[in-house]
Amino acid sequence: MAKDITAIEVTDLNLNYGTTHTLKNISMRIKSHSVTAFIGPSGCGKSTFLRCLNRMNDFIPSASVSGSVMIDGRDIYAPGVDVIELRKKVGMVFQKPNPFPMSIYDNVAFGPRIHGVKDRTILDGVVESSLRGSALWDEVKDKLHSPANGLSGGQQQRLCIARTIATEPEVVLMDEPTSALDPMATAKIEELCRQLKEKYTVVIVTHNMQQAARISDDTAFFLMGDLIEFGPTDRIFTSPEDKKTGDYITGRFG
Amino acid sequence: MNEKTPGAVITAIASVSLVIMVFLLYFLLQEGLPALREVSIRELILGFDWYPTEEPPALGMAPLIVGSLSVTALSALIAIPLSIAIAVFLSEVAPTWVQEVLKPALELLGFLPSIVLGFLGMVVLAPWLQESFDLLSGLNLLNASVLMGAMIIPIVASLAEESFQAVPRELRDASFALGATRWETIRKVVFPAALPGLLSASLLGIMRALGETMVVLMAAGGAALVPVSIFDPVRPLTSAIAAEMGETPVGSTHYHALFFAGLILLAMTLGINLISMWIEKKGKERWMA
Repeated sequence: MAKDITAIEVTDLNLNYGTTHTLKNISMRIKSHSVTAFIGPSGCGKSTFLRCLNRMNDFIPSASVSGSVMIDGRDIYAPGVDVIELRKKVGMVFQKPNPFPMSIYDNVAFGPRIHGVKDRTILDGVVESSLRGSALWDEVKDKLHSPANGLSGGQQQRLCIARTIATEPEVVLMDEPTSALDPMATAKIEELCRQLKEKYTVVIVTHNMQQAARISDDTAFFLMGDLIEFGPTDRIFTSPEDKKTGDYITGRFG
Repeated sequence: MNEKTPGAVITAIASVSLVIMVFLLYFLLQEGLPALREVSIRELILGFDWYPTEEPPALGMAPLIVGSLSVTALSALIAIPLSIAIAVFLSEVAPTWVQEVLKPALELLGFLPSIVLGFLGMVVLAPWLQESFDLLSGLNLLNASVLMGAMIIPIVASLAEESFQAVPRELRDASFALGATRWETIRKVVFPAALPGLLSASLLGIMRALGETMVVLMAAGGAALVPVSIFDPVRPLTSAIAAEMGETPVGSTHYHALFFAGLILLAMTLGINLISMWIEKKGKERWMA
């Protein structure tokens, strides 16, 4: 069963912003073809940790990382790693829907195009399958060449998911993807997460505990840069081992 | 104080500036249109001979119009690509400390009085051009265009830099997260998103060049001829007005013709403005809902 294969193995990961120790000795195994949720109060490091998994923290000059993140048997922080290849393999969906100011089609085709796909028929196929994969195809199939900014917030976020899966990644990282959306749009994205794990490994940061409980297989609870507890979601939510996890889940702080 | 007073005061102040604008236009028309009593509009705009002090005067402004357009076009050709390159460097490539030094330096250059540039053109650029290209005079279209380019680069580059900066961080992140390189991100995401801003920055520079007087008066050579090469001297509308207005009797045909030249300049800038508004509207229709 593919479920128990490790997709990402993190060992002793530390991250400092200047002199601030933001992530402290994080180690975890993220299972392939599952949904893993990161929860915790604001500023606990969950988003920063997510951004370590596709090296988006590289753009912050003061950030320094130690430890290792193994994906496909390679440490992504080893010297000589091709960050472009890594990001193609580990896609990311952001907090605020951020479609490019282009047509719907061009948004989805962006990734394949920069990775060298020129053939129109292949692109058409990728655009359709990606939009189907993000459950947006039926809503936009008649207006593929109209501007992406004309879509609603929820549609834009699903477009961003389509854009991410168009590069055929192995892992899809989501950084609070529903925090800017209304409940109906949120429900659609959550449903989508459950479908996405058939083909991808999904890692989602959320500040909404019910969301983590609804959609994830495993949950990691972060607090002040420490990984407090990590395990199957149903166990974390019913019988947490650490008192702090229980206090957070029952709403005593956060 | 009445609830309506602040609104009324603001409206009154705004109306004053509007009235002044209308009055300026009226004045230009009043002084410019009488030229048409003695010379046909066809002769004025399309005539190739500008000998305003001859008897009878020849008042064909085609060489002046071509002069204005050629200096403007050549300076835009020099300045706009350079400005955009500077803006890309400042906004996307340079480390923060370089940005912090270069951006204010660039803006400071924009305050350089045009007469200083004109002076540079006369004493540095002109002799150099004359020697290197074996010309009769270094005061010509190329000289004026280079100086004009130098004059509008600070304006265009700093406005262009601002439109790059205005591209949201989220768009760059999205591009990087898809595996795009920095250069691909600039070319395919940042540049298209900044394009409307780049266009309006460029048009602002073009309008500045069209209206600039001192640089062309000092460095363009001043011959009212249609240039056939970039080494020919030209006499743009602005320098003709500046050079001749003081020498001509008030109320003469020449006097009215110079005001008419002002009207032509006004029409050109208005035209550029309309084009830029049209481009902006098209851009919005294309990308926004």
